[in-house]
Amino acid sequence: MDVRELMTGSSSPASPSRFLIVTVGERYLALNAESICGLMTLETIGNVGNPTVHDKVYRAINLADRLSVPNDQGGPNTRVVLLSERKVHGSIRVTTVQGLLEFPLSQVLPLPRQFRGPERHWYRGMILFSKSIVLVLNTTWVLDERMSGFEGNSG
Amino acid sequence: MLRTGQKHQRETSRQSWQLLVFSVGGRRLAVKTVDVSGISQWNESIPVAGRTPFVTAVVRQWQTVLPVFDLAASLHLTVQGSSPLCLKVRHPLGEMAMRIDEEIPVLHTFDPAALQTYQGDDLPAEGSYTNGLDEIPILSVSRLGSTV
Repeated sequence: MDVRELMTGSSSPASPSRFLIVTVGERYLALNAESICGLMTLETIGNVGNPTVHDKVYRAINLADRLSVPNDQGGPNTRVVLLSERKVHGSIRVTTVQGLLEFPLSQVLPLPRQFRGPERHWYRGMILFSKSIVLVLNTTWVLDERMSGFEGNSG
Repeated sequence: MLRTGQKHQRETSRQSWQLLVFSVGGRRLAVKTVDVSGISQWNESIPVAGRTPFVTAVVRQWQTVLPVFDLAASLHLTVQGSSPLCLKVRHPLGEMAMRIDEEIPVLHTFDPAALQTYQGDDLPAEGSYTNGLDEIPILSVSRLGSTV
């Protein structure tokens, strides 16, 4: 499924933006839909490390490892999210896909300033969701190759 | 949710400090009431992956999201009781929540002339006072998360 084909609209702060809500390590995370190229099952991608779709290689990124959260992406609901931003491609495994949420960027809450570590680069903010919150992932950080094997292993 | 310290209740001079004495893992600590913004029942916290020591979760209270400072973990203690409380403090970076024991905090009027230097180095303190055999540190809220 090409998610971008289903989505149109701008990303100005006032107008609604679409986020794909997923879970990883029992945390709700949001991905800006504009960066999403597709959703695949483990069966669809087969036994390859880096999924290739339409001749584009989506480098596998271990997001759970990068975030130091439990690696629970092997169940029947696991999906592979294909991401692309500024001609950089990557793919992440998520435990579940909750669905799409439309939300004005202006209503994304900032991460409290008491969070002072590198996580300030990991998230673009928070969204109130049901009785919980969703952390909006910074796709640029997710796709940054230099970060792989760096922060994720530093404790 | 507060009770007044009976032994220490007396005429309040203009220079006196109003303290809130609470417990974490059975250990008694104090904080100035001017640094306290509220006490309520503890709502389940929401973990946030990150690297900031002892700030690894938030609590949601209606439309407000507060960062949680894990004071118990910073002191290598475990919060006691099945109905812990949420102590909200005024931190310079914004309101912050801490999970404390279910024991109801006590208000205490304190004469700053009796302020001692806190002997420990396990938490940021404005000083301490002696209560019986106990040394009770007065938490420096503004330095929480920066020096521990």
